[in-house]
Amino acid sequence: MKANRPNTAKPAQPVQAVSDPDFKFPSFFAMWRDWIVKSEQQWSENVSKLLKDERAASLIGKQVDEARMMHKMYAEMMQSYLAAANLPSRLDLEWLDERMGRVEDGLAAVQAELVQLRSAVVKAGAASATDAGIVRLPRTRRPSAAKPS
Amino acid sequence: MNDVTAAEARMPNPLAQALWRLGIERDDFAKLTGELGATPKETIYAHGTLKLHHYRPQSDELYRVPVLIVTSLVNQPYILDLSPGQSMVEHLVRQGFDVYLIEWGRPRAEHQHLTLDDYVLDRIPACVARVHDDCGEPDVSIIGYCIGGLLSVMYAALHTDGPLRNLVCMAAPVNSDGLESLKTWMGGHFDEELLLELYGNVPADLVQNALRMLRPFGKLAGAMNLLNNLDKPEFVQSNLRLGKWEADNIPFAAGAFRQMVNDFLRGNKLVQRTWALGGKRVDPSRIRVPFVHLLAEDDHITPYASSRDLVKLVGSKDKQEIIIKGGHVGLVASRGAEKRMWPALSAWLAARST
Repeated sequence: MKANRPNTAKPAQPVQAVSDPDFKFPSFFAMWRDWIVKSEQQWSENVSKLLKDERAASLIGKQVDEARMMHKMYAEMMQSYLAAANLPSRLDLEWLDERMGRVEDGLAAVQAELVQLRSAVVKAGAASATDAGIVRLPRTRRPSAAKPS
Repeated sequence: MNDVTAAEARMPNPLAQALWRLGIERDDFAKLTGELGATPKETIYAHGTLKLHHYRPQSDELYRVPVLIVTSLVNQPYILDLSPGQSMVEHLVRQGFDVYLIEWGRPRAEHQHLTLDDYVLDRIPACVARVHDDCGEPDVSIIGYCIGGLLSVMYAALHTDGPLRNLVCMAAPVNSDGLESLKTWMGGHFDEELLLELYGNVPADLVQNALRMLRPFGKLAGAMNLLNNLDKPEFVQSNLRLGKWEADNIPFAAGAFRQMVNDFLRGNKLVQRTWALGGKRVDPSRIRVPFVHLLAEDDHITPYASSRDLVKLVGSKDKQEIIIKGGHVGLVASRGAEKRMWPALSAWLAARST
């Protein structure tokens, strides 16, 4: 067992001279955004530390539970209004999503059956693998001489 | 331009405007990501929401041992096959591996009962059997990513006499003490039964928000980074693809979620070797096949503290841990992955796949 830690040191970036014809003054907004990107990890770590606190997590958990209950009640209440306006509700869309999922799964099952049927036909000798579109490659490949990691 | 796009064009969308200034038409915006999961494949087995895909070989000869990829339960599997040139699956196929992939699919209300027992004891073995039927080889290598890695470890520990030849895990969490945030959020005060009563399965948006909360400003930094690199079309494309994937989570089946909260997060039963599936104890030390764990240095979803114990727990003589620069997603789908992780993975597998 060994840990392969790569050398992650970044090479120094060449500084572009102002006299360079391709030189562009950096945009203030780009610099600001760059600062956000560089600071993000620290900010995220600090907030994560706060969120890891048991009391904070408990409080947030309760708020989330309440918000979810409210959301569910609101969605159910809105359903009748949306139906009256002949508009689909979130629940209608979820139902549609489930139905499409069933259709997708059904199609996958049909495709898999066809693939299995094709293999059975070849195994029974009713058609050659080439005619059935089955490619059987030799399983003789060897690793190159390079030493494995 | 139809009415919808005309209405959208009037809206102050800075990203669309910036793209327009770069010469990218509004109508082309959706095409920027290209087709996701485009490596040619066919579905050879389907059961409920599960689909087992076989990727068409793209080399003259194959390594003898086929590879079966076990994906995460809560993320779409196309992260491993984002687009041509940004696809771990494509890399493996081109290197001469015969690649199969399990897509768990989106559980619906009728799949609330699905537990980890179903995934590990029924579904993975069924897929392994189908791989054998399809290619005729007696053994198989398994690659498990994220929760898929955890499922693979459980499968390997419970099927020691099975056809498993090699086990590869990528960012697989095994020690919940290392998942400090999730463990706190889903501690004793968290009422998972209330959530499951409300929704049946855990909704995808809740899974997504929980993952985002692990790095609260990550989304903001990503957006700023994107704006600063709008002049690099490849960067924009790659970023949009990853953004699309990040917003495309899968609901967590109720039964499996209950076990993950109680047995894994609260009980930390895998490390303590007290986790049982189907009445059998899951003991990773029973795994004897060659094993490698690929980890990302800056993984905020599966931190090193949650994954480092796996190599110690596994009982194989031939075992290794490889740490690669980058994050959880970057481990498998970034440009860095193309140069660092994929070659390390294919070289390790190649030496053990003849």
